[in-house]
Amino acid sequence: MGYATIAARLQQGAPVLLDGPMGSELVRRGIRWRKHGLLTDQPAVEQLHRDYLAAGVHILRTNTFQLNPRIYRNVFRNARHMQHIGAPGLEDLAQRLARTAVMLARRARAEAGLEDRVAIAGVLGPLEHCYRPDLSPPPTIARAEHAEMARVLAEAGVDFLLLESMNTLGEALAAVESARVTGLPVWVSFVPGPEGELLSGEPLGEAARAVTEAGASAVLVNCAPPELLTDCLRRLVRAVQVPVGAFALIGRFSPPSWKFEFHPQFIEAEAWPPVRYAEQAAVWRAIGASIVGGCCGTSPAHIAAIARRLHMEAQPA
Amino acid sequence: MSYAAIADRLRQGRLVLLDGGIGTEILRRNVSWADHQLADRPELVRAIHEDYIRAGADVISTNSFQLCRRAFRNHFRDEAHQRLIGAPDLDQRADRLLEAAVALAAEARARTAGNRPVAIAAAVTTLEWCFRPDLAPPPEQAAQEYAEIFAVVRRAGADLVLLETVNSIREAAIAAEQARRAGLPVWVSFVCDEDGRLFTGETLGEAARVLQPLGVDALLLNCAPPPDITRGLEELAPSAQVPFGAYPHIGRFDPPEWMFTDEYPPERLREIASGWYRKGARILGGCCGTTPAHIAALRTLG
Repeated sequence: MGYATIAARLQQGAPVLLDGPMGSELVRRGIRWRKHGLLTDQPAVEQLHRDYLAAGVHILRTNTFQLNPRIYRNVFRNARHMQHIGAPGLEDLAQRLARTAVMLARRARAEAGLEDRVAIAGVLGPLEHCYRPDLSPPPTIARAEHAEMARVLAEAGVDFLLLESMNTLGEALAAVESARVTGLPVWVSFVPGPEGELLSGEPLGEAARAVTEAGASAVLVNCAPPELLTDCLRRLVRAVQVPVGAFALIGRFSPPSWKFEFHPQFIEAEAWPPVRYAEQAAVWRAIGASIVGGCCGTSPAHIAAIARRLHMEAQPA
Repeated sequence: MSYAAIADRLRQGRLVLLDGGIGTEILRRNVSWADHQLADRPELVRAIHEDYIRAGADVISTNSFQLCRRAFRNHFRDEAHQRLIGAPDLDQRADRLLEAAVALAAEARARTAGNRPVAIAAAVTTLEWCFRPDLAPPPEQAAQEYAEIFAVVRRAGADLVLLETVNSIREAAIAAEQARRAGLPVWVSFVCDEDGRLFTGETLGEAARVLQPLGVDALLLNCAPPPDITRGLEELAPSAQVPFGAYPHIGRFDPPEWMFTDEYPPERLREIASGWYRKGARILGGCCGTTPAHIAALRTLG
């Protein structure tokens, strides 16, 4: 039901406002980044969803970026070692956390009385580190693992699936195929490298066309600096007919000294205060972007600034 | 200089006590481990070192588990990508934190050890993930990275290098050679499985045969539960011509943190470790999940 509103807006050529990040904003708010905050800090996660709703978003993204069984498995020698020295239940922890994440987003939306206006996007990230296309697993494995998490998100009640920060075409296609099995609409967002192509180096325009042919109903770019995404958007607009969009990172990725999976710690986001970021979003809109929002480093204030700048302030429910 | 006293103790066949977990102890004190806390909470790290010295540790290890330049680089596609979105100091951060880690241990010693000789071991792990031998970098690259790390910790004042949670003979040999070249005594500690083997499937006997000629000063086992360590020591002891020992973990790895269990309270660990001591182990301590109370209990062994 939520997605119908989004589809209608896109049909009319009206802009769609995405939310901002979960991870980097939770970390900025002092939450210890463990299990995506979904075991220890559910109130903070839900509050952040509420803050984005108050900023006027049309889409809430689940706090499930890079949440898959592999992130826990990877830090053990193998499955047997995980069972031997790992905490109980790590095998299906990602699935359980993902259900919690969907529940929190749905509850925040329901409490705000915005079921008809706001859609919930089930977020699927790359199976390996989002900035390491070289680690992306082969298609057969990628299809199976994305299918599992897509199924979990769909069953938990998301309105559509958003494949975020996809860094290779191969994994993006595998994920689209798996996500489509749920019957839900699927959007794909690519993370570009410094060259403005996919992080893998594959041409962005071709990748956008390929995922569209595979059934993606929107193509976006995310998780790179704002100006770089502007260049990427120009290429997306020329490449595909489906709606396109962008959500940029601001500031600098400052990974913790202990290595693990992607840990959303960002610094120096002050270089992009909300008003400046909203101006950039207006540029994207002018180029032809239909969907805008924020990635790592942005906050509810940035999203609210976009809403004001693009005249899509939250309507009373 | 501080290592001479430790070497003497070992020559006399006396027990040398290592400290216990640092990272997990930070967690147990309810602080995040994500940044080692060397910059944000130095007083907390120093306090833990001091607690271990008071508990009787002869060797304290720096709070530097898996701390190396590669750990930061691994979060990016390549250098160009790191320049585009990464914090500007990432290439220098590991060195800076390593220096801070050694300095904090030295401060703790100066404040707490009194006249008792306490040595500072620079804790250095595999360059890639400690449980994943399949990820190890190529030998020449590894040698260069280890050389850089050892130069930093030596300059900062470490008395020895403790290579810990090592998962292959090859990486152990590369690192040990570089440590010797840097002029530092070196202890090599392997992680072992339930069968007392390395994670590559190699045997500890083979590991001892390869490493001892390289001049390693001790061979140890760590980061496995006590029963696995018992099994590993059975494999290691017959081949060990240098002092050997172990420091097991207690509890469960709950990534990215640790799950504390009461399966091995200090007295129970002491009982198990006394079996290791009887079989010749002379270096004992604790890995993840152990606390100053565990180290104090081990102190009574010898």
